[in-house]
Amino acid sequence: MGSKAKKPFIVIVAFVMCLSMTGCFDKREVDDLVNPIAIGFDKGEGNSIRMTLQIAIPTKVAGGGDGGGGGGGGESVSFTTVEAPSIYSGLNMINTYVSKQLNMSQIKVVVFSEELAREGIEKYINALIRGREFRPNSYMLVARGTGNVAERYLRAVEPELESNPAKYYEMVLSAYRYTGFSANTSIINFYKNMVSESTQPLAVLADISQFENSDDINTDNSTYREKGRDYPLEGDFKAGDMPKVGTIKSEIMGLAVFNGSKMVGEFDGEETQLQLMLEGNFGYSFVTIPDPLSADNVVPLNIRQNRNPKRKVEIIDGKPNIKVKVFLEADILSIQSGINYESIDKVTILETSAEKFFEKGLMRMLKKTAQELRSDTAGFGKEMKGKFFTWDEWTDFKWIEKYPDSKFEVEVDFKIRRPGLMLRTNPATGTEEGEQ
Amino acid sequence: MANFKKLIKDIFAFKEPKPQEEFILKEKESEKIDDVSNKNEKSPVKEKKGFIRSLFTRSSNDEKDSGSSDKKNNKLEKMVYVSKDITENIDYLKKRFSIPTNGDIVLREFDILVKDKTISACLIFYDGMVNGMLINLNILQPLMLLSNLDIKDKGTENKNISEYIHKNLVTHNQVKVSREFDEIIDEINFGGCGVFVDGIDIAYACDVKGWQHRSVDRPNNEIVIRGPQESFNEVLRVNTALIRKILKDEDLVAESVSIGERSKTPCSMLYIKDIANDSLVNEVRRRLENIKTDYIFDTGELEQYIEDNTIMPTPQIIATERPDRVASMLTEGKVAVIMSGSPFALVMPTTNNDFLQSAEDAYVRFPYANLLRVMRVIAIFMSLLLPGLYVAITNFHHEMIPTDLLFAIEASRERVPFPSVVEIIIMEFAFELIREAGLRVPSPIGPTLGIIGALILGQAAVAANIVSPILIIVVAVTGIGSFAIPNFSLGFSFRILRFVYVFLAAIAGFLGITFGLFVQSIYLCNAKSFGVPFMAPFGPKTNSGYEDQFFRAPIWKQENRPDFLNTKDTKKQPKISRQWAKSDKKRGK
Repeated sequence: MGSKAKKPFIVIVAFVMCLSMTGCFDKREVDDLVNPIAIGFDKGEGNSIRMTLQIAIPTKVAGGGDGGGGGGGGESVSFTTVEAPSIYSGLNMINTYVSKQLNMSQIKVVVFSEELAREGIEKYINALIRGREFRPNSYMLVARGTGNVAERYLRAVEPELESNPAKYYEMVLSAYRYTGFSANTSIINFYKNMVSESTQPLAVLADISQFENSDDINTDNSTYREKGRDYPLEGDFKAGDMPKVGTIKSEIMGLAVFNGSKMVGEFDGEETQLQLMLEGNFGYSFVTIPDPLSADNVVPLNIRQNRNPKRKVEIIDGKPNIKVKVFLEADILSIQSGINYESIDKVTILETSAEKFFEKGLMRMLKKTAQELRSDTAGFGKEMKGKFFTWDEWTDFKWIEKYPDSKFEVEVDFKIRRPGLMLRTNPATGTEEGEQ
Repeated sequence: MANFKKLIKDIFAFKEPKPQEEFILKEKESEKIDDVSNKNEKSPVKEKKGFIRSLFTRSSNDEKDSGSSDKKNNKLEKMVYVSKDITENIDYLKKRFSIPTNGDIVLREFDILVKDKTISACLIFYDGMVNGMLINLNILQPLMLLSNLDIKDKGTENKNISEYIHKNLVTHNQVKVSREFDEIIDEINFGGCGVFVDGIDIAYACDVKGWQHRSVDRPNNEIVIRGPQESFNEVLRVNTALIRKILKDEDLVAESVSIGERSKTPCSMLYIKDIANDSLVNEVRRRLENIKTDYIFDTGELEQYIEDNTIMPTPQIIATERPDRVASMLTEGKVAVIMSGSPFALVMPTTNNDFLQSAEDAYVRFPYANLLRVMRVIAIFMSLLLPGLYVAITNFHHEMIPTDLLFAIEASRERVPFPSVVEIIIMEFAFELIREAGLRVPSPIGPTLGIIGALILGQAAVAANIVSPILIIVVAVTGIGSFAIPNFSLGFSFRILRFVYVFLAAIAGFLGITFGLFVQSIYLCNAKSFGVPFMAPFGPKTNSGYEDQFFRAPIWKQENRPDFLNTKDTKKQPKISRQWAKSDKKRGK
């Protein structure tokens, strides 16, 4: 080896030695860590919070080291609740009695109790965003009710289809793509909307089922009466009010609406769907609309949003004038009345009826956001922002304060594309008595 | 009683062992003297050079000095030219070939009868290296029996005997006539037959090589499904013939070079003279001719003598056992070296992409070849980085793993007592052990080793909680990936570097791996193989010749030879090589 080869050799040795100086500084083995998968915040005494961690037990979730266990034996999660002045002080306290070090990188959901949310959760959101270990894409939930509802909700989560509760959260919270009854409310989205001057944040509503037996089921808490309907449709519920019983107690439906960092109101399932349509995030979903020609029957449709909505904001007399055009497409799923809506001449009846239905719903929902909630959930401020030359002009405009005075014009473009596998509903044949 | 007492005493009491004459390889006289003188005289100079280096240089110098002096002592007088007197020649030959100590040399004395004159002559050859029938029929028979025939040649009278024997008597196709003794002896050493005749001061060396060798076989290491199934064997001329058989081009030059001062191993340097760059050919020739060593046996050794960088793990010369591969690379403008006794040809210069290609790539259709190429690159990255990535992710970047996988890793590691670095090093070592042992194991025991390796290391190690099952998968995938690398040497380099990456990952996670990749790529971009940048044509970029680099263009699009080889003829084929694709009308017929 000549001196020519010596130089790079020395450089490499020096580099490796420098690297070795770190001495595997923040190296932590997987099995030396414990991974909570959900965290819940309730209001504690005074200023403190009550923090609940749902901790997955890997050997139960994934089966033991011998393989093939399948997580059959016992609970796959454990819970711990601690009252602390802040999130990180709480984590520190938990670390003292949980044998392994907490690693927050697998947290899938963050649940706030309604009480806490109505008080304002800015300080907690900031802590979660600032922390390196918290996933920015974990979902944000608000548990309805009073008391330690976040803890109650987390303890009620008993996934049956998954051995891994983390997967349950992932699946159930991404179901909005095909139900439209919740939304993608990741912490990072929440934070961005919270500090944004053009839009307001949302969080998914969660609760546990209030009915024990099927005999108890009622629709007292449904929102259909407010909307002037005779009977509830599937979207007229919020989490916890759904007329259902079963082993899965936890429910997710609707959105919590925030003004700044404070919760100001709730959206039910239908309003959540409309909210997604206004954002352009509505995937596809089964939506029931009343039959235009037969009052007792409904027409379920598989509705898709294949084009983003057209949104336009103008200032007329100092007040925002908001125009929205939503484009929807649908497949017919069922026609209860048997009326031949599949035919060319009758399909327009169904289309215009659906357009009216959604226009009415959107109008009601937008007025609610402006007048009742005073919160621009659909982010029309983004359309307004482009009309200013400088950032300062925009911030001085104070859109958030102007929004409640908005006037709305809503238009829905509704097209029925396919009738499904049936081209016509054939009536059931039988004798008169049989039919009656 | 006394006898019994003595017996007991004999058994238990200490007795001095009888002095036994043992063989001791004694130091040479010259060495002892040298040692003393070196210490006194040369020590101040040597301290400057450094301790370790001085160890190497001194000993080698000593042996060379003493060796040459020994040689002089043994050979008192060296005959340069063949003598006219045959007895003198025979005496010298006997001394030179250590007859009769040397058992396999045959010195056959006989008489030639020419025109009533008896001339004594002798044959000398190595038994076993020559074809006996050839000697009997083509040399001995004409000299001993047919020399009396009346040869109808008018010029016979005027010719001297030496020319007469050469031109008329020895009915053999390759005969070398020389006056110099060394030249004849070199031929004899390489399976020739020396013929000495009394009264003339020249000797004949007939090429009657006939030793046993392997026949042309299927390739063992570079197996293809599509394409020729021939590989080189150990005979130089068979190998050159295999290439000529493919190329059939008189511009293909096979220059002879012999390497090794004692072994004088014949080598052939092949290139196509109107394609290969002259300076490249000169450089290869220069390196080959300037190797000073006693013996050289294989191209594996030759490679180490002529490569640019010794410590770089990546090879810089491609070694292949496939004549078709050599031929195709020669047509690109590269230079090949074949050595007698080695079934591997060396082709130079080599770039990184050559190692990622298999001979088959050219023979299978365009989509298949590209699938194979992509697979190979993935395999390379897997075999290089997978263990490192595993260590990095499980130790530093837990948030990267899908939750389910994290829990699975966590559960499987729950009862493993070692850190994951130790775990992976244990398994990688075990794998390397199986691989090495599997290569050396006698073939009847081979399957047993496989069972032991697979069962004990795979199943039992997991059951005993020494390693986690997920890690077994990582190691297994790495192993499979390393076998997908088409070049053996390159696979070797990744085997070494894999451990480096595990180490770096254990120190600093992805940062360490990134650092390693950075340093490695700098090193590769800096490297050169016979004046060609190793990463060409990607770093530095070249104008053309990308058709068969990372991806392979359809064969009719491969019009240019690689630009970095600076060939004399840059075009392989015209822009439109598939002339039939043009309609006759457009072609103007």
